[in-house]
Amino acid sequence: MSALMPALPLLILVVGALAMMLVDAFVEEKAELALMSFWIFVVAGGASVGLWVTEQVIEVPEVMSLYLATDRMSLFFDIVICGGGAFSALLAGGYLKEHALERGEFYVLLVFTAFGAIILARSVDLLSLFIGLETMSLGAYAMAGFRRTSARSTEAALKYFLLGSFAAALLLFGSALIYGATGSTNLAAIGTAISSGEAQLHLAIMGMMLMIVGLAFKVSAVPFHMWTPDTYEGAITPATTFMSVGVKAAGFAILVRVLLVSFGDDLSANAETGWPPVIAGLAAITMIYGNFAAVGQSSVKRMLAYSSIAHAGYILVGVAAAFRAGEEAVSAVLYYLMAYTVSNALAFGSLIYMGSRGKEAVSFEDLAGVGRRHPAAAIPFVLGVLSLLGFPPTAGFFGKYYIFNAAVQAGGGFVWLAVLGVLTSAVGAYYYLRVIVYLYMKQPQAGAPVAVPMKSGYVVVALILSSYFVLRMGMAPGTYLDMAIAAAAELVA
Amino acid sequence: MGIEIGLGEYLALASVIFGIGAMGFLTRRNMLIQLMSIELMLNSVNVMLVAFNRYMPENHTGQIFAFFVIAVAAAEAAVGLAIVISLFRLKQTVETDKADALRH
Repeated sequence: MSALMPALPLLILVVGALAMMLVDAFVEEKAELALMSFWIFVVAGGASVGLWVTEQVIEVPEVMSLYLATDRMSLFFDIVICGGGAFSALLAGGYLKEHALERGEFYVLLVFTAFGAIILARSVDLLSLFIGLETMSLGAYAMAGFRRTSARSTEAALKYFLLGSFAAALLLFGSALIYGATGSTNLAAIGTAISSGEAQLHLAIMGMMLMIVGLAFKVSAVPFHMWTPDTYEGAITPATTFMSVGVKAAGFAILVRVLLVSFGDDLSANAETGWPPVIAGLAAITMIYGNFAAVGQSSVKRMLAYSSIAHAGYILVGVAAAFRAGEEAVSAVLYYLMAYTVSNALAFGSLIYMGSRGKEAVSFEDLAGVGRRHPAAAIPFVLGVLSLLGFPPTAGFFGKYYIFNAAVQAGGGFVWLAVLGVLTSAVGAYYYLRVIVYLYMKQPQAGAPVAVPMKSGYVVVALILSSYFVLRMGMAPGTYLDMAIAAAAELVA
Repeated sequence: MGIEIGLGEYLALASVIFGIGAMGFLTRRNMLIQLMSIELMLNSVNVMLVAFNRYMPENHTGQIFAFFVIAVAAAEAAVGLAIVISLFRLKQTVETDKADALRH
């Protein structure tokens, strides 16, 4: 039994999801599945924290250690993904009830998607990588299309599904090439085969490029972002929240792991001829495109979708510097993902909170004057966009600071990325502050539909929790940064 | 004796099937055909995995991988067909370019 301890968070999630299916089917009166899934995420995340704190050295059976990591980095991502799941569960509890969509499947799908995301973030083998990726993606496709009667929601699921499965097929083709080139599917064994010169290098490099493309789709890096704005806009907002925090975090976790563990040799990770310039190029166009495309949007949800593309660009800066700056860059990536999870949950949560049945807040116009009419509803939104912008003292400020600092530390060809990141962040100020301008300085036009904030205890709790973490990570980032550094140290060493 | 079939031939076959699948996915607008193209891409990878395993027989990794890919492909088809049905109910078509409510 104790041998299964390192996988405890996973067991809690999967047992919890199965129990929820039973409760949904057999409990007569409407069960509070939102609350149940929230507690499942809290307990699973708590188990990860427990494993982290107790620092027990547990003999892990080989059948598990060959496929799933049990290191600090995997515990870190357990916590981030369970946190994102917990916020999404609370937001769904408010949103689905308000818009008369309450059905138990959503919460079950949410927990299973988080389960897949954790498998993906933990995987140390191409096989578990593929299974985790598909478990996560299939759940996310279904969540995106949850509002079956809406053409927009179905279209969101359709675009996500088609491009997501195409990307998965490319990634799988890449995995097969890497297996053929090195004779192994274990990430560490692949790394050994490549650095010892036993591998067929050209096949391995082709495989690596295909894997980078496949994962770039998942984290929505330009030019593989085409699905992101449509899917984020069309999907129901709680699903969008989890896609933008949990799915993205898992995608970056495995990208960093594959690049550093399998392709962390001096040749593959060479700053001129290896993968770092490829990732740096992706980061540069992602930051530029994401920020400039967000400027022209009239829908707040679509603006947040482009902003999530821009944030993927900032995180890729850290990934590009990961080999040269080592622990510093990887810990910056981890910290950024944690900060982004709470900030984005807060921004999407506020957007959900702004709308009630038949009066969902979607465009900037809908937000006009809310700050005057409903001051309490507007404050969390202001905090959320300020954190996404990277304004002190919020979580986003330190996230950006550590990322750009890591790029500067990496030196050489990476300093320009930090400069570009700061410049494009300045563009971000336009569309993030526009939210605040509409909230406080505009009045709704005569006859225009006016958004009315919903009354939901779930959403209020989610907003309070995420506001707390946004401010806490912005004012006292020490604990969280130490966690990120401890998690990064094991991977880099 | 006939023609000797080696690893190279298997890889060429797998790459051609993968290419056909990718072209079909990118050029066709019927979602059912696109689903079939994705299946084609996944199955070409299976050919490749099993062929590699044949020439590296120390363990069965490639063959086991192929089994998992088959299982995952089935699950993916289930979700994909559900989305097709959902689209058809709303639009009475399975042409993907008819789903254009979210274009700007």
